[in-house]
Amino acid sequence: MEGEPFDRRLSRADMLRLAALAAGAGVVAGPAAAADAAVRHLTKETGHLQVMDWAGYCNDGGQSMYAAYVHAHPQNKPVFKHMTSESNALGQINAGARPDLFRPYVGWVKYFAKSGLVQPWNPKLISNFPHLNKNMVKAGQYQGKQYGIPDDWGFDSILYRTDKVHPKAQSWSLLFDSRYKGKIAWFDDLEMITIAGLYLHAKNPWNQTSSELSRSVNFLKSKKNLVRFNWASETDLDQAFAQGDVWIAYAWPNDWVQMKAKKLPVVYMHPKEKPIAWVGMFMLLKGSPRPHLAHAYVDAWSSKKSGKWLEDNYGYGHANTQARPQSSQLLRALQLSNPKAVTLPNAYLDRDIPQRSQYNAAWEEVKRS
Amino acid sequence: MGGSEAELTLEASAAEVAAPVRRRRRRPRLATPALLGLPIGWLVVFLLVPIVIVALYSVDVLALFPGPHSFALGGWYRLFHQGYMSLFWKSAQMSLIVSALVVLAAYPLAYFLALSGTRRKYVLLLLLIAPFLTSYLLRVLAWKVILGDNGVINSALRSLGLHPLSFLLYSRFAVMLVLGYVWLPFVALPIFVTLDTLDRRLLEAASDLYASRWKAFLRVTLPLSMPGVVAAFLFVFIPTVGEFVTPSIVGGSSGYMYGNQIVDFFQQGFPDWETGATLSLFLIAVISVLTFVFVRFLRLGEARAA
Repeated sequence: MEGEPFDRRLSRADMLRLAALAAGAGVVAGPAAAADAAVRHLTKETGHLQVMDWAGYCNDGGQSMYAAYVHAHPQNKPVFKHMTSESNALGQINAGARPDLFRPYVGWVKYFAKSGLVQPWNPKLISNFPHLNKNMVKAGQYQGKQYGIPDDWGFDSILYRTDKVHPKAQSWSLLFDSRYKGKIAWFDDLEMITIAGLYLHAKNPWNQTSSELSRSVNFLKSKKNLVRFNWASETDLDQAFAQGDVWIAYAWPNDWVQMKAKKLPVVYMHPKEKPIAWVGMFMLLKGSPRPHLAHAYVDAWSSKKSGKWLEDNYGYGHANTQARPQSSQLLRALQLSNPKAVTLPNAYLDRDIPQRSQYNAAWEEVKRS
Repeated sequence: MGGSEAELTLEASAAEVAAPVRRRRRRPRLATPALLGLPIGWLVVFLLVPIVIVALYSVDVLALFPGPHSFALGGWYRLFHQGYMSLFWKSAQMSLIVSALVVLAAYPLAYFLALSGTRRKYVLLLLLIAPFLTSYLLRVLAWKVILGDNGVINSALRSLGLHPLSFLLYSRFAVMLVLGYVWLPFVALPIFVTLDTLDRRLLEAASDLYASRWKAFLRVTLPLSMPGVVAAFLFVFIPTVGEFVTPSIVGGSSGYMYGNQIVDFFQQGFPDWETGATLSLFLIAVISVLTFVFVRFLRLGEARAA
């Protein structure tokens, strides 16, 4: 039984009972309630839902986004384990951690789907699924199956202070501008190799040839002396930016929101080489003993209400196309009304890096140089 | 009858005499394992076994990812051929500088506390270790407020019409400064203990033999306090050479150390436990050798002094 997709574990009799219950409840309270009633009856999932998620999305700030789940399943409240990166999550899972679900970003969907560690979702059990951005939904698929349910999203781009910095062009080149030596922050991730490839016009920045990879590494090494620090946590970046230690940074929309809130004159650039768009993807672990509860949890996160809360409070976009933030500035900056904001011609949607370990080795080489 | 009574009494006396001897012999046999069992067990379970596991990861006998894997020395090859040695040397240099400077700074402090005869030496000692009452992380983070471009020092410089110093934060200097601050009390304590237990009559004898205070210090105090100095040096060098928290907070891109590289292999980008384990094992080996050398040096010094 373990290792099989959870929906295959239901017997034929179960399926018939599910259909009957869904139909009966549907008459009384609508399809969402029907699915919920059927699921509750059919599944005897017990215990706390085990969630592996990023800091800020757990019970350390993310409560509003899964409040509906807690309300509906008070006996199965989520218990959280932090992940600091997809690599960290992968390490934890391979070392024996067994969360029911976790949230890597879109570039890792293919990797995890192929790894055999996860199983596809059943979108029919997620009532908010039809409202999710179709481009993002597609990005969560692998071989026609829905391995990732899109949720939060945003861009990787450049944040800079307009009172201190005068870019020669709206370009990623600002991260490598020697005029601002010691005032630049890069991101501490192998994505810097992709960005170098993008800037240096590699044919496919996510799958560079060995000569392109060497060129990217050498380029980053030659520019490393301009960099004050490589940030790994947004808190570090926001503090350094707010205190004036750096003026230019690889950043996410939330950092722009935070600096705006501090009344700093900042611009979140749309580089001519295009920003990179990222989408958080909930993934269901294979063999999870609580797959239906996991669906209910993701459904709560996928609601319009949760989406609006995320946008208003974190400054990220949300995959639910009905969610709209209060701030028109944010609406414009993220192009939330544009369903194709995360794809070309607006941005490159982040994607699988087939040579991830080589990219990682390359980035580590840059750091220790 | 009388004779046998006497014999019995004698035997009884012998037994009484012998009994404590037997007890004395038995006690160590039971007491030694009882006393040493827990610490030895602790060391085996939490030090030796993890080191063996790390060693097995370093040669790919154990692997993070499922699938076929077998004994391989790829991690060790990478260690010596891909720039890790220069990173290790950079970290060792930083650590050596910090350890040496902190010992130099702590020695006069410990000397004053131990030998000045002040009645408040234990109060002063308590003040010295007072920062330990707060979290390590908090103490490191506080330096960001002091060293930042708009921090305490640079604001003061600006108000004096001077140019602010950009190297104060996110630099090797920042890492060494903060490490020195953090470890100073650790260094002062062993030196203080050595000096505090120094036989003062030796100093009186040196004085009686017309040695100047400086000469008495060089010929008596300093050699006798060397065990404390070496212990203090090791107290700083061993943890700082593999340090990763402080450089990740105040080091920036130039203060990246060997310990950060190890953490990255386990946490960042894409897990590479094989190389991470190799780097860890190399660090353990170097520190073990250094510790052994220092201990030998200490013993030689003690033997010469005797």
